[in-house]
Parts: sequence; C-alpha cells; structure tokens
Amino acid sequence: MPLLEVKDLNIHYHVQGGILKAVEGISFSLEKGRSLGFVGESGCGKTTLGMALMRLLPSNGFISDGQIIFDGEDIRKKNEEEMRKVRWQKISMIFQAAMNALNPVQRVGNQIVEAITTHSPLLKKDEAFKMVKNLFQLVGIPGDRIKDYPHQYSGGMKQRAVIAMALACKPKLIIADEPTTALDVIVQDQILQEIKGLQEEFQISIIFISHDISVVANVSHEIGIMYAGELVEYGNTEEVFESPRHPYTKALLSSYPTLNGEKNMLTPIPGETPNLMNPQTGCRFFDRCPNAISSCKINPAEWVTISPTHKVLCYQCGRDCGI
Amino acid sequence: MNAAQLSTDNKNVIRPHWINRFLEGWSIYKKSILGKIGMVLLAVFALMAISSFIPPKINPMYEPMSGVDPYISKATGPSMRHWLGTDFIGRDLFSQLLVGARIAFLVGISAAFMSVFLGTAIGMIAGYAGKFTDTLLMRLADIIMVMPSLLVLLMLSALFSKLSIWFIVLFIALFRWPGVSRVIRSQTLSLKHRPFIEAARVAGASHLRIIFRHIMPNVLPLSFLYMTFQVTSAIIIEAALAFLGFGDPSTVSWGMMLQWVWKTGHMFKAPYWLLPPGICISLITLSFYMLGRAMDEVLDPRLRKEGENY
Amino acid sequence: MVNNSEAILKLHYIFKKYKTRGTFFGPQSKDVIALNSISLKILKGEIFGLVGESGSGKTTVGRLIVKLEKPEKGEIYLDGQEILSLRGDQLKGFRRRVQMIFQDPYQSLNPQLSVLDAVSEPLIIHKIGNNHTIEEITRKTISSVGLSPPDDFINRYPHQLSGGQRQRVAIARAMILKPEIVVADEPTSMLDASISAQIFNILLQMREASNITFLFITHSLAAARYLCDRIAVIYKGNLMEIGPAEEILHNPKHPYTQALIDALPKLDLSSSKKYYNSLRKEERIVKENAGCPFFSRCNVSDETKCGQNIPPMKELGKSHSAACFYA
Repeated sequence: MPLLEVKDLNIHYHVQGGILKAVEGISFSLEKGRSLGFVGESGCGKTTLGMALMRLLPSNGFISDGQIIFDGEDIRKKNEEEMRKVRWQKISMIFQAAMNALNPVQRVGNQIVEAITTHSPLLKKDEAFKMVKNLFQLVGIPGDRIKDYPHQYSGGMKQRAVIAMALACKPKLIIADEPTTALDVIVQDQILQEIKGLQEEFQISIIFISHDISVVANVSHEIGIMYAGELVEYGNTEEVFESPRHPYTKALLSSYPTLNGEKNMLTPIPGETPNLMNPQTGCRFFDRCPNAISSCKINPAEWVTISPTHKVLCYQCGRDCGI
Repeated sequence: MNAAQLSTDNKNVIRPHWINRFLEGWSIYKKSILGKIGMVLLAVFALMAISSFIPPKINPMYEPMSGVDPYISKATGPSMRHWLGTDFIGRDLFSQLLVGARIAFLVGISAAFMSVFLGTAIGMIAGYAGKFTDTLLMRLADIIMVMPSLLVLLMLSALFSKLSIWFIVLFIALFRWPGVSRVIRSQTLSLKHRPFIEAARVAGASHLRIIFRHIMPNVLPLSFLYMTFQVTSAIIIEAALAFLGFGDPSTVSWGMMLQWVWKTGHMFKAPYWLLPPGICISLITLSFYMLGRAMDEVLDPRLRKEGENY
Repeated sequence: MVNNSEAILKLHYIFKKYKTRGTFFGPQSKDVIALNSISLKILKGEIFGLVGESGSGKTTVGRLIVKLEKPEKGEIYLDGQEILSLRGDQLKGFRRRVQMIFQDPYQSLNPQLSVLDAVSEPLIIHKIGNNHTIEEITRKTISSVGLSPPDDFINRYPHQLSGGQRQRVAIARAMILKPEIVVADEPTSMLDASISAQIFNILLQMREASNITFLFITHSLAAARYLCDRIAVIYKGNLMEIGPAEEILHNPKHPYTQALIDALPKLDLSSSKKYYNSLRKEERIVKENAGCPFFSRCNVSDETKCGQNIPPMKELGKSHSAACFYA
C-alpha cells in the first residue's frame, strides 16, 4: 500500500467574481522512502496542492472533490484536532520562504525544542535539547550555534534549521515547497544534497514542489509536470527527462538555458497561462500548443500510458504521439 | 456585472484611469455599512446647508442673526411658527440650525482642504528631499504638533479682540497639517526607493517631474482619506472655539448657538435650544468619520488583494 | 557580434562601501564593502555578463553605471568621458545614452501610469518629437518588444498585465531613447522559465537590430552563457574571473567559478557528478580575512599564501584572466 494516495483531487477558491479552479483532477501515489517532484510555473496550483495535503488551505480555498489517503487514513475526513496530530508528526512541511518562518526574537534552538515538546508533551526539556543538537548535526549546523538568534544565521543556515525543525518529529512525509528558491546556487546545491541524504538515511517520503525543473530533476525519483491546475505528465524522472511526451514538458525543457552541449536558441512558449476562472473545455494547453489539432479544443485531454512508470495527459499523444 | 468587473474585464474600453479607479473604489465602498450611514447623514446635512437660504426669504424674522420675532422676546419652545422655538431675544432656532450646517461644512471642508494641501506638499518635499530639509520641516511639524492650539488661539483673540471665521479656518489649517505631513512623508519615503522612481531618474526625469508625476498620484488617495478625518477635527475645533466665546461673533454656528445657551443661562431650562446644535455637531463629525473609515477600507490594500489576485 | 574591440565603458578601480545601521540592541554600525577595486571594460556591441550570488555587489555595479549611486573611489568612463562628475545638461545627455532594466517588473512600473504614459515618458523628458510622433514612436517600440498589436496594450495599466508583459513594457521604456548601453539587472529573476526565454530572445533581437551594448547582471551562469559574449564572475565585491563566455563555462580557472558550475543543478541527469570539487567540505573559520575573498571556502587554497595575500588578476591568454594564485 502506498504511503500517500491522492485520487482525483479538485481544489477551488472563492474569489471575487466566482470560483477559481486551482487544481483539477490530480491523482498520484507515493511509496514510502520515495520522492516525488511537482514542477510548474507560477499559478499552476502546485503550492495549493501542497497546502491541501496538509489541510492548510487559506480560508477561501476548499477541496471540492477527491480523496487524500495518507497512511491508510482519509485526510479529508479528519477534524481539526486530529489534523493537528498529523501535521508535523506525520507530515511536515518546508515552506517557500521558510527562513522567515523563524521567530526573530527567540533562539533558534529553543524554537525547535518548543516545537518538539508541544507535540510530545511527555518529553523532558533537556532530552528535547539533546534531540535538537543531534538534528543540527544531521543538517550540518555546528552545535555551538544552537543558542544563536535567527539574524545571526546566514540564509542557508536558516533553511537548514527549518529542515531540522521539519525532521524533528520524525515525519513519514515531508512536503518541501520551493525549499531553496531564495538561496544562492552553491548553498542550494548543499541543501538539496542534505535533503537527499537525509531522505535515504531515514526512508522519508518527500514531495518537492518547485518552479525550477532542474532542481526537481536532481532530487526526485518521480516527477509530475503541472500546467494550469492539471497534472499533464507524470512518471519516472529519468523517463520523463529523456523522452518527454507532453508538448508542455518539451517546451518547458527547451526554454531552459543549459550549461553543456550546443548553445541552441531557446524556444520560449508563446502566450500566457489560461484564466482558471472559466477554463476552456478541451485541453488547457491548446492555445500554446505547437501540435494541437482542432479536436483538442473541444475534447478534454486523456491520460495515455507510455510505460508502466510514465503517463501523459494529451489527446494527440494517444493517437499518434509523434514519436 | 459590478463595477470592479467592468474596470478589469473591459480592457478595450478606453476610459480615463481615474474613472476606473473610482468605480473600483465605489464598488468596495458600497459594501461598507458605515460608509452608507455616513453618506446618508452627510446628505441630510448638505440638504440642511442648502435650504438655509430659504427661511429668510419667507419672512425676514427668520433671518438667523438679525431677524427677531416682533412678538417674542424670550426663549420659547417649539411651535408652528418656530419649529424649534426661539432664543432669548426671539430669533428662530431652526433657521440658525440650518445656517450652522452651512458654516460647519464651510469651516470643516475649507480648513481640512487647506491643512491637507499644506501637509501633503510639506510631507512630499520633506520625504523626497531628505537630509536637512526633512529634519527642518519635521522639527517644525513637531513644534506645531505639541503646541496647545486652543491656548494660542485664546492669546491671539485677546490680541486682536475679534476673529473672523476665515481667520479661524486658516488657523485650524495651520495647526492641523503636521499630522498629515507625517503620514505623507513616510509614504513618500517608501515610494522614493521604489524601482519605478529610480527608473524615472534613469530616464532623466527632474525632481519636480518625479514629485508631481510619480509620487503625487500615489499619495493623493491617502491625502483624501486624511481630509475626511481633518474635516471632523476642524468642525470640533471651531465649535469649541465658538462655545468658549472666541468664535466669529458675526456668524451663526452650532458652537455659537451653544455659547448663547450657556451665556444666557438656558443650559438646563431650554433643551429645545441646547440639544439640536449639540446633536448636529456629534452627528456631522460622526458621519465624516464613518466616511473616512469606509474610504480606509477602499484604500487598504489588504482588503483589495482578494479581488486583485485573479 | 563583437567586430571591434573598442571599449565603450570603462570602470577604473571602483570602490564602494555601504554603512549598515546598527540595530538598537545589535552591533554598532559598520562598513560593508560592496565593491573592492573593480576594473572592467565593456566593449561596444557586446553583451557582457556579470555573474554573482546575492550580496556579491553585482547590482551595485549596474547602479553605479547608470548613476543611481556614487562610488567612494574610482572612475567610470563612457567613450572616454568621465561620467561621475556630470551635472545638469551633460547628465541629461548621459541619461539618453545609458538606460536600465530593473529586476522586478511588479515594482518598476508606476501603478498610476498607463503603458503609453510609462513608455513615452523618456521622450517627453528629453523633448523628442511632438505629440503625434511621440505616440507613433511609442507604438513602434511597444510592438518591437513583442506587445502587438500595440493598440491592445497602450491604454492598459500595470495591474492589467502579466509579469512577462510588464517586463516587456519596462524594456520598451528603456529602449525608446535608443540608448547605447543598457544595464539589465536580473530582468528575469521574477519570471517563469518560459517567460524568461521570451525576454532573453527580445534582448538578443534588440542587440541584433540596433547594436546596443548590454550589461547583463545575473545569478545564473546558464542564462549568462545563453546571452553573453563575455562573462565576469564577481564574489563579495571582488572580480574573480573574466573571459569569453564559453571559456568561462568550459574552462573555468578560478575555484569559485568552478564551484558555481559544480553547484548548478543540471537537466542532463547523466552528468550530475561534481567535476571540479573546488569547494571545501567544511568552511575554514577565518577571523579577519586579509587574503583571497574565497579563501574560507576554497579547497585549493593554501593557508599562508591565500590567507595572507590578495591574489592579483592573472592573464591566462585570449582575454581570459582569473584572480587566483593557482589558476
């Protein structure tokens, strides 16, 4: 049984002038000890998805349909009290601007001790402190910095502290939403290696959410490409990168400048992402797709299985696929 | 389709920006109950101010200052002839109340306009120029802010013996700008380092151009908001001055009416004389305040965000 | 593209420091050195990339060139003319020649001005053309940055545009005066990858069409490779390495450049192994660094040599130089 199974998830927002369909019909599953990356551009619903898994949607957002089965239990059926036990202890999260999540007037170590003791009240304070020391060692913060205040930390160290906090209760699943976006490349690389190492060591499942396809490529076993609230391609990372099938994935890959190989002209994706207030009936990528045919506009895209570990949401690919 | 949708959806409709902004603001304003009450109350007062010209036309004895009922020479209660009664020499209270509304608007709005104008100009100059100019202007603002304005006015009136209503308006404006200038200055400071100001500098824009073209349109909404609050305080200051006997003796204002009640010893004898001006002062300041609160909601970006995201 | 090696812009030993204000309880105010004796030459018609991490001083270089800030020491020459002392009309003339594209398109456009007003403003400031030609030129410029038909856009306000469209408007505003040099300060860091590629291509087209010289400031070596003819790598206010783009990326000599290249996440999964390994596993604890700015993190460095002396720029041939003793 997979650790997390999401079936046909729909998330909507109440906004001025109607309902915004932020996430539509997303299904995936995640095994223990595996990592899954979601990639997409701003507004594609990836952050909303992460928040929904923790049931932390903003007050105007709601899960309108679908199931989230975590560890054999339905997350949607839990009440707030039960959810509080799941958060941090079973599922924890590394937020987008996590470095700002630290309270500036409290010592970093104390904040994590507090987080631990509130969730396991039986633990004594000095035991918790010892735990934090171990955690800091794990994420690569020198033990003598435990009593420092957040402003004495560099950006990378704050991020490490936040990762330590996420690990504190030995969760089964960590949702990392843009964990390295604000960091410089060298530090980003170190943090990603750190997370990867910890994941292998403790067999934690991780969901990475990022706008940067290259970040996700290096850390996750499976990858899901999101576009305008939908999952458009899903599969084993190597397979997706070696033979991307969805036109959006292909376009996304060819719009990234690379370091090696031929210096090709970048081919940007023309146009803009669609309005999610009333999306068109057919494929959402229709307007920007280079090989769309007229029926793409009317018929919703269908999932096509390329291999047992690779599937793509494209009406066209189901026909001839242009392999 | 509501106004907000109109303004964002119809991209092809060419309409001046400020109209769109106004419609957008109005659609938010409409949702505020406070704003609606304030508007209705203000409309009533405006009607009073406008109709203040009518009673003297009907009969010269309704002249609020000089008209005296030939048959009455003491304070009397409401009657058909004098809806709110008369004062101690037989002047009609109702027509006095109507004129009071006119004076309240006149004093409130002109004093507020002047103080907001001064405050905005000084605030923008101080914030944009910085350094010595900023220090100088802001210390000046501090000095004025801590000065006991009533006391100064008492001294001035002792010096000049009689203050005209326009002098009082000017005085209120001169004493009320520092608060506005502080707010506008801080807004200007935060705007000054925004990239669009720097972009204008790189394009070669002069300081005047930056102030008038780029900073002013961004602080004016705030100035307008402050104007409503300034109106409130200007009316109260004028009423207080008049009540204490330092108002313009040739003008009938609500504060002046209250002073006459008190001076002639009718304070607890003639509620029909005491209550109407008192209630009017409270209600008009309250309505301007509610107007300001509702406008605050319009201007507060946290409230506007909800609709702006998508 | 660069047919002659005539320098259009020269930076001469630029030194810039900022004062940090001490917090109420925190440390006293101290000076932070943003740029430490930077010397650069930017050639006519090239796209020059300035690559560095946040806080490296790369943005400061751009701001100094457009005269938004002044250096403490050093000189900047545009076509042989010293620019730091320009005042009045001379400064206005300079503004016509040097423009800037800012990082955040959500902040760099005045929310109260329509696209037409924003883009045409430089023309009005410099009194170019009459009412009719101003609108004509503006339309042309707007469509040249890919906002076409221009009629759809000129009456819109920033909040009615997407991030990519806003950045195009900002580019149009910078281009309308036909400047000789444009400083582009991380113009795509707030945009999605597919939109970034659009912006990159617009910049390339602009250079193609009017031979504008660009200073492209970025944190991404990959973007710099795509756009730039030459690249300079800057770290903590010091120039580390400078040379032709391909040379810097495929034959980096400075350990810092090597570390940057190692750290860059790669799409090509087969080559994700570290190649240079120039970054120390554990940082050295250095009290007062008198030597190389990268000393504490450098794997190659030597305690006495690199810790005590600042390595000078070393010519490595083919206009490639690096500030490292071991290069």
